Amino acid sequence: MNNIFLNQYLTVMYPEIFLGLVAFGMLLMGKRYHDWKVYTGISIISLLIAMILLLLLDAGNETFYGGAFQINNFGLYFALIMIVSSLYVALSAGTVLKDNPEVFFATFLFVNIAMIIAAFSLNLIFIFIAFEGVSVGTYILSAYGKSRRNLEASAKYFFTGIIATGFIVLGSSYYYMATGTFNLISGVPEKGAMLIALVLLFVGFGFKLALVPMQQWAVDAYDGTSNPVSAFLSSGTKVLAFFILLRVFLVGFSHFYNDVFYLFVIVSIITMTYGNFAALSENNLKRMLAYSSIAQAGYLILVIAVVSGSSSTFAFTVAIFAAMYYSIVYIFMKGGSFLSVSAVNKDKVEINDLEGIGVKSPLFAVSLAILMLSLAGIPPTAGFFAKYYLFLSLISGNLWWLAVIGILNSAISVFYYLRVITVMFRKNDSHEFNLGSSVMLPLVTAAILTIGLSLLIFAYPQLSSIVGGLGVVR
Amino acid sequence: MFDYAWFIFLTPIIFAPIAAIAGRKTKVLGGVIASISITISLILAIIVYIGLRLTDVPVYQTYNWFGNIDAGIYIDHLAIVMALMVSFVSLMIHLFAIYYMKDDPRQNTYFGETALFTGGMLGLILSSNLLEFFLFWELVGLCSYLLIGFWFFKPNAASAAKKAFIVTRVGDLLFIVGLAILYSLLTVRNVASPLSIPYLINNAPLIAKEVGAQNLTIIGLLFLGGAAGKSAQFPLHVWIPDAMEGPTTVSALIHAATMVTAGVYLIARVLPLYENATYVAPDAVLFIGAFTAMFAGTMGIVMNDLKRILAYSTISQIGYMMASLGMVTVIGTSVIGFSIYHLVVHAVFKALLFMTAGAILIALMELRDVRRMGGLWRRMPVTVTLMFIGSITLAAIPPTAAYFSKDTIIDAAYLYYIRSGGNIYSILPWVFLVIGALMTSLYTFRMFYLVALGKPRSKLAEEAKDPPMIALIPLMVLAFFSLTLGIIQYRFYDFIDPSTIHVSVPFMVEFTPLTMVVIGILAIAVVYGTGIWKNMDLSRSRVYRLLKAKYYLDYLFTRIIAERTILPLSSGIARIESGFSRDVEATGAGAMGFGSVLRRIQNGIVEYYFVFLIIGVALLMLILEIVGGI
Repeated sequence: MNNIFLNQYLTVMYPEIFLGLVAFGMLLMGKRYHDWKVYTGISIISLLIAMILLLLLDAGNETFYGGAFQINNFGLYFALIMIVSSLYVALSAGTVLKDNPEVFFATFLFVNIAMIIAAFSLNLIFIFIAFEGVSVGTYILSAYGKSRRNLEASAKYFFTGIIATGFIVLGSSYYYMATGTFNLISGVPEKGAMLIALVLLFVGFGFKLALVPMQQWAVDAYDGTSNPVSAFLSSGTKVLAFFILLRVFLVGFSHFYNDVFYLFVIVSIITMTYGNFAALSENNLKRMLAYSSIAQAGYLILVIAVVSGSSSTFAFTVAIFAAMYYSIVYIFMKGGSFLSVSAVNKDKVEINDLEGIGVKSPLFAVSLAILMLSLAGIPPTAGFFAKYYLFLSLISGNLWWLAVIGILNSAISVFYYLRVITVMFRKNDSHEFNLGSSVMLPLVTAAILTIGLSLLIFAYPQLSSIVGGLGVVR
Repeated sequence: MFDYAWFIFLTPIIFAPIAAIAGRKTKVLGGVIASISITISLILAIIVYIGLRLTDVPVYQTYNWFGNIDAGIYIDHLAIVMALMVSFVSLMIHLFAIYYMKDDPRQNTYFGETALFTGGMLGLILSSNLLEFFLFWELVGLCSYLLIGFWFFKPNAASAAKKAFIVTRVGDLLFIVGLAILYSLLTVRNVASPLSIPYLINNAPLIAKEVGAQNLTIIGLLFLGGAAGKSAQFPLHVWIPDAMEGPTTVSALIHAATMVTAGVYLIARVLPLYENATYVAPDAVLFIGAFTAMFAGTMGIVMNDLKRILAYSTISQIGYMMASLGMVTVIGTSVIGFSIYHLVVHAVFKALLFMTAGAILIALMELRDVRRMGGLWRRMPVTVTLMFIGSITLAAIPPTAAYFSKDTIIDAAYLYYIRSGGNIYSILPWVFLVIGALMTSLYTFRMFYLVALGKPRSKLAEEAKDPPMIALIPLMVLAFFSLTLGIIQYRFYDFIDPSTIHVSVPFMVEFTPLTMVVIGILAIAVVYGTGIWKNMDLSRSRVYRLLKAKYYLDYLFTRIIAERTILPLSSGIARIESGFSRDVEATGAGAMGFGSVLRRIQNGIVEYYFVFLIIGVALLMLILEIVGGI
């Protein structure tokens, strides 16, 4: 079998290659067709085909390209949910983006290629390339929109983003200095350089997740970009960044868990607290959601704290399961709530602008209420189970004090989430809402999934059997 | 396979929302759909009944619900008799309600709720597990709340619904505590399905040996608390007279078919547990039942509200059923037959009485005071004749059905006295029940006299007319049964329990209750027939005032317990709570302030962000230097 198309090194890249071909095809089509519907259809179909191609891959923990690339179920899971998040955004993106849809969707597919690569990489260079692919793509995406604010947001995002890139390159070089390789699985490295690499890489990769002190771009960027893009920035790319953090710090720094633990615990506490407190007094709906997504990122990285801070196998399994579960739930609850902002036809949407929507469209109000309850972690939504497993892993890893801080923070967050719900059901007839299918469909889907995904806890045995795919040597 | 018997209770539950929705446009559709669904239940119940006669094997089908709880249906002879009775009586009431509720704008809601009510009761009867039983028990409680408060725009109705709900909740609390104790005792002994009804009734002696008769007694007393709440036994009977604020058909449903019989059924269902507990548990059932039978009757005598008289008579009659069940240790399981037979007979004639009352109230524009009625026999001949049949059945005059059912219970109480050694303590139930019979006779004929005989005492009563005959057909069916059900007495007993004993007591004892009834009739004839009652001023009599104030139990519960004890306690707690919440609010305000300081960092100028970032990175390194030791 010397057929070049069946060469192993090529077959593992088939999903990426396919998406790339479609994206280039789209750019060529842009000469003649300008209807966004065509491009939405093509991208959805090609993303679905990419998912099928991914599922056809042999997930047998085989490594390629000298240990840099590994196909396993764990990576596959994250690749799939990232594509799902793209699909979710693609469904609603076209309606707000009238100009040059081919560029938007082609970029979108390029971003997805980078995401899939990132999900399987075990090498800093690969990860860096994938990460940059996503970054550059999202710089372009965030510039889309009608007003000058989009450009401003994109510019801010771009300038802060390149700083992050600088940190990653610098950190990677320190990493190379310490270990002599870019592979994440390495021998015992030299300590001094490794710890500098730790902080630098953390700053670089933590950027996308908007952890304190790298959080500042996020609020402006989310606020300034159009709603589908901010939904994507806060769901898909966040999951990607979170996945990269898991890989890099839990696999690459396995000899320095003590430092990783302190770093993440401190950052997590500061991030949660910052996000929650800042969201409390925020009146702008999108900025409030942005702060809340900063806080959610703080919860997410608790997973890394558990794994690095506790030697219990059960805590490890539950923590990684929580990471997997939280990620997929997060996509819908956060993405859905950002997309719901489109219901108000305004540039700067205040929370109070939602007044009276509970009367005009109970379906909208109930759906958004479900998302808010899920973000706050109230049963029976999936957000509750996500937090439940997260705190369960903290407690079973003997980190109950961290769980207490997390739960206290959740309690604070309930305040601003419930505020949205109460505002929605207030009486006010003066507001006009855009309640077309482009707003309702994604929102209702997200609400149904947020309830429905709580069934995923029954998949605990299956999902927890693939956590080894993370690559952590214990 | 999914047994069709499930649909006995599933049909009304499924049809309930359909009736409520379909009836929105065409009003009459709601009642028709609800009646059809209950007819289906009745037919299915008859089919299951025939099957049981043929094979004699209980229908038992369960699925694992969660953990070691299996939910499903268990239909033995006791359950099928109850199911037949509930579906039949409920069907009659539904048919009459189509007439009774015809002018109500919300009748579709009404029929949805009553169908759900009936479905809940049927589900309760067929449950194979006590937890499932409890679930339906609560569903019935919820529906009763909705229906009693159906005319919620009347303040009385709203508060009566609340009262019914809260009082029964006290009973439900005791019930679920009992369930929890039973469950935990059996689970630690590795029982496969601890709350399964067939398991409990077939292995009762073993359970008693395993968990101890003392524990079983406690459980029995707690269950009795639940049953007393639902079945309106002393001291939790206070909700039922107020529950008369709902539509009269609802009262009929609550008093005859659903709700109040649930408590009796619960005790009959788990009677083997009582049998194997210490004597305290069954005796508590016996004495509470017998005492209530007398006690409620005394209050019935002085009531002036037509429906309230009937309400107290229900409490009293349920007391007979309870008392009968309490004799289980001495007389054996035959008492289930005695009790359930009286329950079925009572359901039939009480539904009849309530519906005639409903017909009268419609004619009198909801005027309920019996002192302002009178002479209705001449004006509403059919209705009042039906009421007469109901009344003589209630008073247990031969040859009506209640004569057979009630006197058997009274005779059994005498047998209890003989068999338990003939001491003064064990004669008490018989005495209570006999006095109860006298009371029954007194209030029944007083009510009947004031309603039907004499001259009309108000303008409305003068102009009253019979409702259309077609509406009275269900009542006639019930009247027929209340006259003739006595024929099947012993066949009924043998169907419930093949080894039923035939109670035989001395001739004199057997005639005591009937004598009491006759004395009652005579007394009423003297006092009311001669017109003495119009000149009697009873308001100075202490006994009268005591009865009129319902033994001050309402006063005790609402004023002393609720207002003097619980309210001060809760307001004290509320004060602590409000102090606490003030602190929380202060914290919230502080948090908001802190948040806006944090947000000030977010000023939109990218250069500042970089500075902030670099400071942050430096701090991180510093912290890691300190705690991690670079």
